[in-house]
Amino acid sequence: MLTVSATCVPADSDGLVLDESALRRLSDLDPSGSAGLVPRVLRTYVASLQRLLPQAGAALAANDPVALRYVAHTLKSSSASVGAQRLAAVCQVLERRLTPPALIDCPDLVARLLAEGRSATLAFEQRLAAS
Amino acid sequence: MNKLDAPGEPVARVLLVDDDAVNLLLTSVALSERGFHITEANSGEAALDMLGNETPDIVVLDAMMPGLDGFETCRRLRQLPGFDNMPVLMLTGLDDDASINRAYQAGATDFFVKATQWSLLSGRLRYLLRSSRTRQELERSKAKLARAQDLARMGSFDWRPALAGHLFGQLVMSPEGLRVFALEVDLQVSLRALLRMVVPAERGEVLRLLAQAMRLSTVLTTDMRVELVDGRERILHVEAEPEFNEHGHSIGYTGIVQDVTDRRVAEDRIRHLANYDALTGLPNRRHLMWRTERALEHARRLQHPVALLLIDLDRFKVINDTLGHAAGDELLVETARRLRMCVRHTDQPYDGVLDAAGSRSHRSLEAVGRLGGDEFVALLPEVQNERDAERVAERILEAMREPVYVAGQECFVTTSVGISLFPRDGQSVADLMRNSDVAMYSVKSSGRNNKAVYSPQLSGRGREKLELESALHKALERKELVLHYQPKVDVAHAGMMGVEALMRWRRGDKLVPPADFIPLAEETGLIVPLTEWALTEAARQASEWKRSFGFNDSVAVNVPTRMFEKHDLVELVHLAVSAVDIPHRMIQLEITETGLMKDLQSVIPALHRLNELGIEISIDDFGTGYSSLSYLTSLPISELKIDRSFVLDLGVTPQSSAVVTAIIALARSLGLRVVAEGVENLRQMEVLHRLGCGQMQGWLFHKPMPPEELELWVLQNMQPQNSPWVKQLQLLESGFDNQRAPGHHY
Repeated sequence: MLTVSATCVPADSDGLVLDESALRRLSDLDPSGSAGLVPRVLRTYVASLQRLLPQAGAALAANDPVALRYVAHTLKSSSASVGAQRLAAVCQVLERRLTPPALIDCPDLVARLLAEGRSATLAFEQRLAAS
Repeated sequence: MNKLDAPGEPVARVLLVDDDAVNLLLTSVALSERGFHITEANSGEAALDMLGNETPDIVVLDAMMPGLDGFETCRRLRQLPGFDNMPVLMLTGLDDDASINRAYQAGATDFFVKATQWSLLSGRLRYLLRSSRTRQELERSKAKLARAQDLARMGSFDWRPALAGHLFGQLVMSPEGLRVFALEVDLQVSLRALLRMVVPAERGEVLRLLAQAMRLSTVLTTDMRVELVDGRERILHVEAEPEFNEHGHSIGYTGIVQDVTDRRVAEDRIRHLANYDALTGLPNRRHLMWRTERALEHARRLQHPVALLLIDLDRFKVINDTLGHAAGDELLVETARRLRMCVRHTDQPYDGVLDAAGSRSHRSLEAVGRLGGDEFVALLPEVQNERDAERVAERILEAMREPVYVAGQECFVTTSVGISLFPRDGQSVADLMRNSDVAMYSVKSSGRNNKAVYSPQLSGRGREKLELESALHKALERKELVLHYQPKVDVAHAGMMGVEALMRWRRGDKLVPPADFIPLAEETGLIVPLTEWALTEAARQASEWKRSFGFNDSVAVNVPTRMFEKHDLVELVHLAVSAVDIPHRMIQLEITETGLMKDLQSVIPALHRLNELGIEISIDDFGTGYSSLSYLTSLPISELKIDRSFVLDLGVTPQSSAVVTAIIALARSLGLRVVAEGVENLRQMEVLHRLGCGQMQGWLFHKPMPPEELELWVLQNMQPQNSPWVKQLQLLESGFDNQRAPGHHY
């Protein structure tokens, strides 16, 4: 059963969907670009978004806080790495919120995670297509 | 660039475990960029599988993973054999205190907050790798130390004294230390239990040292004898130094314990070899001198006499030479055994307690020792008077009176004992030794088998002579005697007819002429062993010449008449020639006319037996004695040697040629050869030749020379044209008068 609590606070929405400075840090790892690192990382990231976002939806539907927290945890650090700041911020709040023992009491937060996830997917796919 | 972080370090292999593909990729790229060799695993299960095949230098584990999470993976990794010390870095979230604690509990070496600051991660990995290597080196070094300590039978311990009320405190002994005590390595042992292993005789002393070290906070160093649980007795060396806290108070001891039994046994053996005679086990010269010094120190303090007895076997050399060295050694061992029973011999004096003034401990110095050869010494550290010492000397003479069985034979060996007393006969060990020597030689010269106490009159014989006598006594053993040989020449046939062996004494770097030692040897009786040696040596030399240049004449050896009284002269000569496989006739014995006439009756039987063996007898210095001509006719002799005094005057005084003429006539009538001695010039040779004596010996032909020179001389001079005297002879034969012949100025 899903319990929705009114205490759910939207995460900070000031962050960027795609932080260019993070991408620059990434390209520092492969200055000549010969290894194709940045596109490889972005593709990997998009692939995990496509894998993890449906898992988040399923966890919400199944009321599985552990599975949901795992998605938040994983997306938190990889999103931060590639510069998906807003998604990373939502993941951080959600992960903390779901520290066991916990119930899923913030479906709006989950909805934001899914929304930010979709925005990020879109942004990175565009970026990939542009390069 | 960042590879320069750690120049010179080998490329570290990192196993990176993360389920998040993005992080895995980024971390992997970032660390590769910084010089690490990365293997990736996307789950705990995959990581554990990989560890079965390869061993990385470090494992980086994401804490939160589906399936096996980082904590469980780490826990399982630690259970794999060989991975208990593998450095594991756990990656956790920044705000995740619980995970940090769990990481340590799971056995992680360290944690690191996930971030994109790769340089920090790289630095942390290097730090972990370095400390892991240091730790490995430390482990290896500890293992090496343990092994070295085991090999050295050594171990270490720490000891903390007890709080009030507890007597023995707390002892922590390393496993190696426990092994030194033959104890189980997994059980600790108390100081009390260890002290109980110290043998009772030493326990008190060890406790005293321990108490003293603790009271003064000083280093404790001692050796102690312990009986191990398995009953073996070992000697352990303990060395401990105090430890102090920051206030300077002693808080206990740290130290090592080592089994030094083998070393001590070796040391004892070396000490024994250095101080005791290997053959007889008696104290040797060095140790005896030491004991005597100690005895004198004590005697000076307590004002009592000390006696030194020098004991020398009579005729030991004869036994050694006739029965062999093994027999000689047997005799020395038996002598040592008997001598020990004549005094209160103590093998090991009680070193430590000798200084205790007034105690009777100096008695433990009493001993018999062997100086070398057949010389022994008895040290009596305290006697009342010279009578005490004489009584011991009498016991010794008595003890040696019993026959000794050596080499299956019964031997009668007597001893000569010289006694000197401190302080009367000398203040120092050297004085006492010298004077007991003087006393001993006075016994030797007055017939042996007796004792004598030193008196200054004995020294009146002149120190030089005594020294000479003492040195001559040892000359044989030291192989200082040599034989020189003078050819006897048959001038008519220009050939050598034999040689006379003449004894020389090579003393240091000078050659002592026979006149300086033969009379002394005669006086002291040493002439007997000297002659025995000369006979053996002459036979050996004759045999050597026989082989080297076909020598086939005789070697004449001078034999004093007292040798003929010895029952074994005939056997001696027989043995000497048989041993080297030469015919008996190659040894000739020369006996002086005076000597012969003095002991005629006792000499005759031996002369007959020697003659029967084919050994010729020559009468030396003939013409100087008062020969009973009637006896001369019945003696089995072969040769007369005209005394050099008659030859010297030949052509100068008419009487001398008259004597020589008479001797030659006598010899001819008895069918004896005549040899003229001391022929020094051609005139003497000429006269002798004219008078009918063709066989001569003297400096004209050659002075006595070492054996190798004689061989050369024979080879050179027996070519007739080479020798001046041969040419002279040829002139004579052809009727020339040499006095007027030009070119001869000899």
